[in-house]
Amino acid sequence: MKHPMHAISRLLLPASAALFALAPAALAQAEGAKKSEEPKRSWTVRADRIYTATGQVIENGFVAVVDGRITAIGPAGPGAEDGLRVAAITPGLIDLSPAIDLGTNSVEQSDEVTPNVRVADALDPFALAFERALRSGVTTVLCSPPDDNVVGGLSVVLQTGGAATIAERTLKADAVLRGAFGSQPSRRNSPAFLRPRDFFNRRPTTRMGVEWEWRKAFYDAVVARQDKDAAFPGVEQLHAVMDGKLPLMVHANATQDVRTAIYLKEEFNLPRMILDQSSEAWKEPEMLVRSGAAVVLPPFAWTGRVGADGGFHAWNTAATLDELGVTFAFSGRDGLDVDDRLAMQPGYAIRGGLSFESALRAVTVTPAQLLGVDDVVGTIEVGKRADLVLWSGKPFDFTSSVVGVLLNGELVVDPR
Amino acid sequence: MMHVQHLPSLLSTAAAAALALAFSSPASAEKLVIEAGRIVQDSATEITDGILIIEDGRIVAIGRQGEVEKPWDAPVLGGPDVVVFPGFVEAHSSRGMDRPNENLDVAPFLDVRDSIDPINVYFEDCRRWGMTTINIQQGNNCVIGAQGRIVKPTGMTVEEMTVRPGFGLKLSASPKAGKSAATQAMALRQSFDGLRRYLEEIVQDARDGGDLAKREALFQGRDLEGEKAKGRAMAGSAWKVDGLELIPRGAIDEKQSPLLDLVEGRGTAFIWCGGAREVHVALEVARTNGFLDRAVLVLDPSCWKAADVIAESGVAVVLEAPMVHLERDPVTGKEIETFVPGVFAEKGVRFALSSQNSNSNSLWFQAARAVGLGLDRKTAIDAVTRVPAEILGLGDQVGALAPGRLANVLLLTGDPLANDTWVQHVVLEGEVVYDRAKDVRNKYLIEGVEPMGLEGSAQQGGAGAR
Repeated sequence: MKHPMHAISRLLLPASAALFALAPAALAQAEGAKKSEEPKRSWTVRADRIYTATGQVIENGFVAVVDGRITAIGPAGPGAEDGLRVAAITPGLIDLSPAIDLGTNSVEQSDEVTPNVRVADALDPFALAFERALRSGVTTVLCSPPDDNVVGGLSVVLQTGGAATIAERTLKADAVLRGAFGSQPSRRNSPAFLRPRDFFNRRPTTRMGVEWEWRKAFYDAVVARQDKDAAFPGVEQLHAVMDGKLPLMVHANATQDVRTAIYLKEEFNLPRMILDQSSEAWKEPEMLVRSGAAVVLPPFAWTGRVGADGGFHAWNTAATLDELGVTFAFSGRDGLDVDDRLAMQPGYAIRGGLSFESALRAVTVTPAQLLGVDDVVGTIEVGKRADLVLWSGKPFDFTSSVVGVLLNGELVVDPR
Repeated sequence: MMHVQHLPSLLSTAAAAALALAFSSPASAEKLVIEAGRIVQDSATEITDGILIIEDGRIVAIGRQGEVEKPWDAPVLGGPDVVVFPGFVEAHSSRGMDRPNENLDVAPFLDVRDSIDPINVYFEDCRRWGMTTINIQQGNNCVIGAQGRIVKPTGMTVEEMTVRPGFGLKLSASPKAGKSAATQAMALRQSFDGLRRYLEEIVQDARDGGDLAKREALFQGRDLEGEKAKGRAMAGSAWKVDGLELIPRGAIDEKQSPLLDLVEGRGTAFIWCGGAREVHVALEVARTNGFLDRAVLVLDPSCWKAADVIAESGVAVVLEAPMVHLERDPVTGKEIETFVPGVFAEKGVRFALSSQNSNSNSLWFQAARAVGLGLDRKTAIDAVTRVPAEILGLGDQVGALAPGRLANVLLLTGDPLANDTWVQHVVLEGEVVYDRAKDVRNKYLIEGVEPMGLEGSAQQGGAGAR
């Protein structure tokens, strides 16, 4: 698409010998200033290989982007605009558990069960974690309340950059209900019989207590279905979870917490459950498959022990889940170290025996589907948002890295 | 009588066992032939369809199949799918020890030998990831630390593991816990001033007819025989104490003699710099005391800012901790990422990568990531083979595969920097010391399959220990 300004200046400038010398230049400047506020969102990127995450690989192809949307993909086609040519392109990466929050300041302490609290109200769009994620190829994140409450509240799907407000970055508000099993919700609470850490004691203080809070919450929600007077703040969200309208994402790192989560799912017939940081979910293969729950894996650790509860994460954990037919995604958590970030996770899993195609899906289309935003992001298809990651070599190889990122058509990391 | 009766059968059992060992494991053979689809001799040289011949722990021949004569009596390892690579060399590590730091500020009379734990899991990891030569030095929390030691990751005793004893001395230009940067710099300088004062004192004492140093040595039970009984004029280029030939070398205090070695140009100093500002202190102390050409800087990633000064000094460096340095721009608030090996490569500084990096402990991963982040493949491979070998003074022994060198050879399942490559066998000085098929712990790490007899214990150790 030709830029209209170019056409005008080409017409006017040769004729601007004396009389029009100032006018077109001034006009062009004013237009230019206006244009520079709005970033360029139309590009043609060429690559040796384009991994669309739909099962297709295009050799020596291009992706055309107009106004932030993908308008054409294919082999051959137009030349690389402004030298935008890289070794490979994948869809923008999606992190379901990026650990971007305000820490304990965003924990609502008035109750252990706060399904109606929205983390979007507490997030800082200027947090460094967003920049860091975006730089390393993560274009979409699910930001969740911290796990210090049993039921923390509603998570939000955001793009990792662009606009300066959370509202403008939101891809999907109230996308999942977030909560936690295991040691996380009780780790900062102190029991009444020990020396108090501060003037009040917070419950629960054990795994049993955490589970009891979960069951009570859903039991109360069941009661509130019949008895309108028994309604409580957050009951609508719990009903939405029971009706399958809202996915429930729970932190469950070790096997015992995975079991507890699945028991809850089955007891209250919760259709859509996502087990987060579940490195040990593979130890209960039958239960996992039967439950139909999806799994988000924590970042890989070379020692095998990862996450809040030190669950065991073998090299082949992802490959095992893939063989079982379990839906799974990777996560990068805080990603301070470049080797721990989301873009590295598929590489570790591939070393553990996972196929490239499954690894790619687990950071793109699968998380998009779990969040219900797969109509907008997650694959390279005509009509989708132009969230693209540009690679220096084969994606996920340890010898390659992310060299460029397009977010909604804007070239936020320039490979040139 | 019972013993006599049982003797023959015992003997035959032993003989059978020895025989079985000889056939089942090439480890006991003095000769070994390694065949490979690809032999990567060093970062620049490769052979396809290669063959490598080992005799008595050293490589005697290397070449293409057919070009090299194969001894008829040697066991053969490898095959067409195997990629052969030189063992990785760790230029500096403080792992594999029981507590790597000594409380004393200046403790060069200590030796890491007494701290190295041969069954530390770190050495098992070294075999698993193919690191065959490791320079163990005291931790960074010191002014002057213990004497280091170059080891190989196999053996039941430290002596068996030793490649070169008493190699290297750890110095730190960064504040030890409880010190400021200024007091640290002062303490480091004063150590060498102290050496000079000490030498002057004992020389003066000898000139005055005394034998203070000798008496102290005898009192401490040190032997003063042979070479140690002889005095020698002070060598070195930076400063000298005249009359040192009057003092038997063995009589020089154990706290001072490792420092004297440095000043006389005999030792290698590994100087830790935790920040760019400390680099000039390290270089100044090394320059003033004449061991700049035998100094190696061990660098925190933030030291990339001193790359120009380091390049000018000509010293080699070991890059510790993450390869990417994160920093927040105070004006814009933006986070800046700097790929540290890239900076040093551009400045022409010789550097070795360290496995003490990220949460991994393997050098192939570091080399692969360095390539991923922008280093060229040759420099990355050099940084985990040739350069560290040179830093350790073993440039003609390890770090490459060539006749005459130690037979430290890795048999890999694929390209050394590929995601899905595993170390299949490690040959260390001609002996097979690692076989992935028999690596129980690796099976656990890869597949979560617990070693026999440990079923359920992970539950207790992991879930239950919370």
